[in-house]
Amino acid sequence: MNESAVSPNLDAGHIGTSKNSRFRETLYRLAKDWVFIVASVVMGAILGSAILAPLVATHDPLSISILSRLQPIGSEGHILGTDELGRDMYSRLIYGARLSLAMALLPVFFAFGIGTGLGVAAGYFGGTINSIIMRSIDVFFAFPSVLLAIAISGALGSSTTNVILSLVIVFVPPISRVAESRTTEVVGLEYIDAARISGASDFTIIRVHLFSNIVGPVFVYASSMISVSIILASGLSFLGLGVKPPTPEWGVMLNTLRNAIYVQPWVAALPGCFIFVSSLCFNLISDSIRTAMDIKP
Amino acid sequence: MKNSNANKALFNRDPILKVTGLNKVFGRSKGFFGKSTSLVQAVTDVDFEVYPGETLAIVGESGCGKSTTARLILRLIEPDSGNIIVDGMDISKNDALELKHLRKSVQMVFQDSYASLNPRLTIGQAVMFGPRTLGLSIVKAREIARETLSNVGLDPTRFEGLFPHQISGGQRQRGNIARSLAFRPKIVVMDEPLSALDKSIEAQVVNLLCDLRDQYNLTYVFISHDLNVVQYIADRVLVMYLGKVVEIGDVGSLFSNPRHPYTRALMASVPSRDPKIRTQSAPIMGDLPSPINPPSGCRFRTRCPYAEDICGAEVPLLTPQKSAGGNQVACHMEKIGSGHSKGGILDE
Repeated sequence: MNESAVSPNLDAGHIGTSKNSRFRETLYRLAKDWVFIVASVVMGAILGSAILAPLVATHDPLSISILSRLQPIGSEGHILGTDELGRDMYSRLIYGARLSLAMALLPVFFAFGIGTGLGVAAGYFGGTINSIIMRSIDVFFAFPSVLLAIAISGALGSSTTNVILSLVIVFVPPISRVAESRTTEVVGLEYIDAARISGASDFTIIRVHLFSNIVGPVFVYASSMISVSIILASGLSFLGLGVKPPTPEWGVMLNTLRNAIYVQPWVAALPGCFIFVSSLCFNLISDSIRTAMDIKP
Repeated sequence: MKNSNANKALFNRDPILKVTGLNKVFGRSKGFFGKSTSLVQAVTDVDFEVYPGETLAIVGESGCGKSTTARLILRLIEPDSGNIIVDGMDISKNDALELKHLRKSVQMVFQDSYASLNPRLTIGQAVMFGPRTLGLSIVKAREIARETLSNVGLDPTRFEGLFPHQISGGQRQRGNIARSLAFRPKIVVMDEPLSALDKSIEAQVVNLLCDLRDQYNLTYVFISHDLNVVQYIADRVLVMYLGKVVEIGDVGSLFSNPRHPYTRALMASVPSRDPKIRTQSAPIMGDLPSPINPPSGCRFRTRCPYAEDICGAEVPLLTPQKSAGGNQVACHMEKIGSGHSKGGILDE
């Protein structure tokens, strides 16, 4: 054991600097979970090709070729066929992954930040602050999430930013609820009392003692929303509220290929398959992480 | 072990902790339509003083307000009324300077050693948190943490980097003691610090507490329901019943000559170490009455074998008894002419 690993460090980055045995245990359990490994490999492949799209793609996703419209899967030069305007499906799916995944991940990312903040504030301060925050959040639960997302992005106008914004609004309430209930649970524990007795400021108590103990469960819950987010984001685009054609995006592609379903059903189903597979993978990954973290040491 | 002369000398000094007229009622909030909800009188008119260097034990059965009193002293719960004077400064007002004084002077050790340590911090980090909060540098705080850890019998090189779930219950409670001592407090309030430990570990920790008291010149407020430990560690004992103080006194005279019927019942409930002397009969009947509507007058009267009309009509005040070695007892039987047929009989 070297000195730096043993020495506790309570400066700005105090939590991460020490060996966190629970984190290691979680990683160890995940490494033995084959569902997690398969899902991560598939997701990694989709994410990787999305990031490296210009290198991986074989065609320009926007180049139209009227002569080779609706080619079947496996046709020459177009491994996954072509769409109704003769654009290469493989390249469009890869480029589409960029936007689709960004529109799925960003709302969850922002909602995780905002929801955790609101939930921690409500749970830690309690009383009137809790009532104001949590009752305001309850209002959003009156509407089904799909309806709420459609209503917000419909009202704001169709654009990528508005889709993300509307999804953030949809995801903040459930994440805050989880963060609030977890915070309430931790605030009742004696080490928070001990920290209060120490005279530390509320901010320090939240930063050092509370946050590290609630972030895990809230993160796992938020990650389970990614799969919903993919479907909602694609759904909004499908309805014409998000990305506009010809930009490649899975929801838009599904919409434009809708008429081709009798001609080339397999090609038309491809964007849906990608939505399904990535949503499933995110779900499995989040499930595996939860199982690995739930086990008490 | 106990030097009663030294204790007498302590009484002439100023108290380091003085609590007067402490009251706390839970559930004060009004119902939705302005109906008042039921009120729990957790702590009622509690007065006591603690002198520097002594150990005051607070005893009583579950639900009598011991822990609430501890939390009130530390301002974890806001008192409804009453003053708490720590080292000459009234900390019951919401003043930043006074609160800071409290945080520096008074620390607490909790019952549950696991719940009172943050599972995400190592023992070293947990102990360092105090000095860091007091504004010391990391290097200085680590130095204090290591010194305190070795003083509570935890080798810093071995335990500093371990997490609470990696060590045993006794070691965790030592860690908690170190965490509170790292502030270098004057008073340590202990809320049943031993009740989660097994007997062999308990003895070790009691001895450790005695050693630390001398080493750091500490004053303890020791909450317990284990009267054997109290007899060993305490200088004075405060007996609580249903949120009220029924008797305060020197540990010697209180154990040898308990005055209040409740104290006597409590003492009789201690199992004898001699198997030939068995506890004769159930010393106390019935359950603790609900603190929502406590009995009028003396709160113990519903279970007291000597209860008379006066006990329901008038609240007995805590009065010093000359014959009981300065013990203060709240019982009508202690006073001649109180209206109780046995008034003053115990004083003879």
